[in-house]
Amino acid sequence: MEYLYDHYSGALYGAICRIVKKEEVAEEVLQDVFLKIWNRIDTYDPSKGRLFTWMLNLAKNQAIDKIRSKEISRENKTGGIENYVSDVKTGEFAEQQVDSIGLREVLAGLPPDQRFIVDHLYLKGYTQAEVAEEFDIPLGTVKTRLRIAMKQLRLILKT
Amino acid sequence: MNVAEYISSGILEAYALGELSAEERTAVEKNLAQYPELSAELARIEETQEQLLMKAAIAPRASLKSEIFSKIESGKPEGKIVAMISPVWKYAAAASIAIALISSYLAYEYYGRWKASEENLTTLITQNRQMAQDYNTVNQRLDKMQSDMHVIGSPDFKRVMMSGSENAPDSKAYVYWNEKTREVYLSIENMKTLASANQYQLWAMVDGKPVDAGVFDMETGTGLLRMKDMAGAGAFAVTIEPRGGRPTPTLSTLQMIGSVVKG
Repeated sequence: MEYLYDHYSGALYGAICRIVKKEEVAEEVLQDVFLKIWNRIDTYDPSKGRLFTWMLNLAKNQAIDKIRSKEISRENKTGGIENYVSDVKTGEFAEQQVDSIGLREVLAGLPPDQRFIVDHLYLKGYTQAEVAEEFDIPLGTVKTRLRIAMKQLRLILKT
Repeated sequence: MNVAEYISSGILEAYALGELSAEERTAVEKNLAQYPELSAELARIEETQEQLLMKAAIAPRASLKSEIFSKIESGKPEGKIVAMISPVWKYAAAASIAIALISSYLAYEYYGRWKASEENLTTLITQNRQMAQDYNTVNQRLDKMQSDMHVIGSPDFKRVMMSGSENAPDSKAYVYWNEKTREVYLSIENMKTLASANQYQLWAMVDGKPVDAGVFDMETGTGLLRMKDMAGAGAFAVTIEPRGGRPTPTLSTLQMIGSVVKG
């Protein structure tokens, strides 16, 4: 368990931060996620995917549940529209953290339309449906673009 | 199924992102089990995704680790459960606990009240019975007094006054005797209390011979005492005899004597 934490807490915390946007909330979610991992590790089925994917999806669901829960939505409402507008900016907060790790170079290897998709899905906490709706791109296109981008990334990351 | 087409639709990426509905996910998992190429491709996508997110990692506050692990190690059952139960269920659980508590309180409360009512009812029933008994006793006494009054007031009864002998000069009693119906009643005015081994015995003098008319005690009760029926009595007398009486009187213990007035 400690190995899992040392190894994956950063990646999971990053994913959570990009969804909930608030540090203290993200810490709460991370705590809930590790309690869940601890309690449900026996339900993980390796035939359905990697352990990291399983944990990542636990973390994303927990984060989404959190922002949908009443207390958080009330906090967001006080922020009004401004809060939604600043979504992209808070996305940058995550990106700044990313820069130092040198992810920018990895993403630079992608054509702009693919980079846009990866950036929003993996680094800004958007879902595929949200990207499609917000930027007026057909959902099928979002999916195929991600498909091509992931193939490209695979090559870049190997080198 | 065209595996290449399936892969190029980008569904596996969506699966790895956890963006599919439960139904879609089940369908993908079914295909994964069936087509090894799909699982191989998914593994590559997941690897890329993992590498990407590892690079995009944000280190959480260092002290968070010990906080989380102390929670896991303390194995607080509330912690585990609360993490999984939605707020609705929390309220539902709280509500049912509250209802259960209120119900048990009310059950206890009303059980107590019911118990108290039952006791009160039992007391009332007992009191009612007592009153009915008292009423009967009083009624019987009244009947007795009425019949006594009838005897005393009736012209058919002769009143025989028996006065004390030398043995008991203060003793006094009356005999009421109906010559036709032979009924004999005794009314004690004043007599001594006897030792429990002895009893008074009433005698009637019939043709000059004493005939037993029954025994009695001082404490036999109030009002008239019914004695044995008697015919042709000329006088009545009382002696002290051993308990149960004797066939012939002990003259030395004569207490009272009185003659029937003729006419």
